[in-house]
Amino acid sequence: MNIDRSQEMKFIQSSVAMTVTLCSFAMLFATMFLGYFLVRSSVSVWPPVEIQGMPQGLPFLSTLAIVLSSVSYYFFEHKTGGKKVNFVLTIVLGISFLISQWLLWAALKESGILVSDGMVPSMVYAFTWLHAAHIAAAVFLLLWLGFYVFVRTEKLSPLKVINVGKFWHFLGVVWILMYLLIFVL
Amino acid sequence: MAFVEQHIHDAPTSFWSKYICSYDHKVIGKQFLWFGIFFLLVGGLMAVMIRWTLAFPGQPFPVIGQLMFPHTGGVVPPDTYAMLFTMHGTIMIFYAITPILIGAFGNFCIPLMIGARDMIFPTLNMLSFWFNMASGILLLGSLCLPLGAAAGGWTSYPTLSTTLGQQGLGQTMWTIALFLLGVSSTMGAVNYITTIITLRAPGMGYFKMPLTVWGLWLTSILNAIFIPVLGAGLLLLTCDRIFGTTFFLAGAAATSGKGDPILFQHVFWIFGHPEVYILILPAWGIVSDLLSFFARKPAFGYKMTALSLSAITVLSTVVYGHHMYTTQMSPLLTQSFMTLTMLISIPSAIFFANWLGTLWKGSIRFTSPMLFSLGVVFVFGLGGLTGLYLASTSIDLYLHDTYFVVGHFHYTMAASVLLGGFAGIYFWMPKMFGRSMNECLAKIHFWTTMIPLNGIFTGMMIMGYAGMHRRLYNPFIYDFMHKLMPMNTFVTWCAIAMGLAQSFFLYNFFKTIFFSKNKPLASANPWEVGTLEWEIPSPAPHYNFKEIPVVKCGPHEFGNPNLKTGRDFQYQTEELVEVK
Ligand code: HEM
Ligand SMILES: [Cu+2]
Repeated sequence: MNIDRSQEMKFIQSSVAMTVTLCSFAMLFATMFLGYFLVRSSVSVWPPVEIQGMPQGLPFLSTLAIVLSSVSYYFFEHKTGGKKVNFVLTIVLGISFLISQWLLWAALKESGILVSDGMVPSMVYAFTWLHAAHIAAAVFLLLWLGFYVFVRTEKLSPLKVINVGKFWHFLGVVWILMYLLIFVL
Repeated sequence: MAFVEQHIHDAPTSFWSKYICSYDHKVIGKQFLWFGIFFLLVGGLMAVMIRWTLAFPGQPFPVIGQLMFPHTGGVVPPDTYAMLFTMHGTIMIFYAITPILIGAFGNFCIPLMIGARDMIFPTLNMLSFWFNMASGILLLGSLCLPLGAAAGGWTSYPTLSTTLGQQGLGQTMWTIALFLLGVSSTMGAVNYITTIITLRAPGMGYFKMPLTVWGLWLTSILNAIFIPVLGAGLLLLTCDRIFGTTFFLAGAAATSGKGDPILFQHVFWIFGHPEVYILILPAWGIVSDLLSFFARKPAFGYKMTALSLSAITVLSTVVYGHHMYTTQMSPLLTQSFMTLTMLISIPSAIFFANWLGTLWKGSIRFTSPMLFSLGVVFVFGLGGLTGLYLASTSIDLYLHDTYFVVGHFHYTMAASVLLGGFAGIYFWMPKMFGRSMNECLAKIHFWTTMIPLNGIFTGMMIMGYAGMHRRLYNPFIYDFMHKLMPMNTFVTWCAIAMGLAQSFFLYNFFKTIFFSKNKPLASANPWEVGTLEWEIPSPAPHYNFKEIPVVKCGPHEFGNPNLKTGRDFQYQTEELVEVK
């Protein structure tokens, strides 16, 4: 059996596994969206009083950070020039996303929107917590990958890059949906 | 798809790498088996304690009662009763049946039956077991808490499961334990699905896979999709309990704002209904194979069976509402759910008829795995039929939350799956541990289990029909319940008998594994079956297959008169002999 063939098999295997894994994560978030829809459909006026005065700028900044980080990761994956800069940029942007989320929670509290104020604020908090926890995990994954990008370069396989990337882009897409549904619409 | 290089690694030598942190799918399967059997005993003891309380209210539980409840003189106290049925349900479903059917058989059978050397991600596999272990320890630990373990039922509906329903750490630990278990199951599912898709031996098409593998595969798909749904629900519940969110607090329970307890029920049952199929699908698969193996006939309508199982898998995702008929959903919804639920009986009837077709005119060998498989056919038939009653909205309004439900779900998911599990253990024992179990004891085990089992669960259904409510500490404070006292006593004696009967199994099991070293190993193929795992020595060697086998025919080629080999079956690696 030649090397190409077994490489190709490895790609197939890992993409099957990654698809299943992302399906599982997607269902986790889908359930949260379902909960969000049910909560929202039980509210007669939108936005309800509990979340009036929710900060708008911070979530927008988060969105910007995560979109840009996905873009830079894309360049890291696909373009040959300036690879490592793009990778570092992804991590930096990912961490800025987390910081912006932290500030968002502080700002929510500032404007008197508390976790215990009812279902809508509960949802806003729990949903962002859950997503941020995944981002934090993904940042750790990126750092783990960074070990191979910078230290053990000979062990850096394209598969690692692709799979971490899939997870990262996936979380980005989830955030965009969240941003649109919770903060914009 | 299937031509991956699968290396043979050296067999591990130290005890630690061989039995504790093993990457070998067979060892991990056995770890799951031990884990499951242990919890089966714990859950079984709890069941007997529940039954004791119902039959002999106010009387101390024999032997260990004094030790466990000294302050009541050995009588099970009411709050403990709630804890008992909660932990019994949780343990049986998530820590006994799931590890045995999915963890043990999934791990052991999938690579062997599809002709692979191991799971595709051995490390993930090992992690999956250890997450499972952590979760089990957490759950058992919660039993020792001062305020006791979770007591909100295995469904843990709010507000029973919020801090208002239950103070203390018990419910929180339950929630976290289940979340961990979910992570473990999801890891397992990713592994199983990918293994089956990419590691099948050359020639092993999907419709040449044994039905056991089909069952496990469909189960894994459901697991991968629906466990995360439960995960989200559990996280929200944890948030409510720890971080002060108010998803599920309602009415006077909520200090500010308002939540919706019904939301949890939706989330729970979106997961929960597929979960019951998650439990039963592997058992269906195993039984479908065993019936053919021991009727010495090809599985009747093999493709239809596989397709029916798939159809059920799909349908099972859209019927969850039948658990919530009494939550004031709109009649339009209840009727839709009722129709969809009834639809499931079509594919179910198809594969059930196929089972009967397989048996029809077979030259049946009544071995112990076959007896247990026939037991599954019987109890699943009963369980399935009584499901139709509950699916019908109008009847369910009366039967909801009665012992009829308890009888029904024990027939379908407890009795069938338990018997299916035993069938599997007796069947694969020689391949797993190298020696067959004693047939005579196994048959005694079957009858002493089967007869009381039907006493228990039929008894439960009759009591439920008469109006006995489930989850009641002492139903007999109601006058109309008095006449059901003898029935309750009967059911409890049956439960005790069935519990004691398990000692036949335990004795046989331990004896075969630990005290038969002087006996010769089982032959490679003691049951005379053609699937791949029976072509390699017993117990299966470290690397499974020296050469990856090339599959040429289906798993159930029996009784072909043109066979010239002197056998009545074909190995899957043999060219199919035409029946002209
Ligand atoms: C084999 C002997 C068994 C006996 C005698 C038994 C008996 C019982 C009893 C008396 C209850 C309490 C019902 C109530 O008060 O609502 C119960 C509940 C339950 N059992 Fe079993 N059981 C057995 C095996 C199993 C098995 C193998 C399973 C696994 C699938 C299982 C799953 C459950 C569940 C899910 C509940 C509901 C718990 C709840 O109400 O939250 N049981 N069982
Ligand atoms: Cu259901």
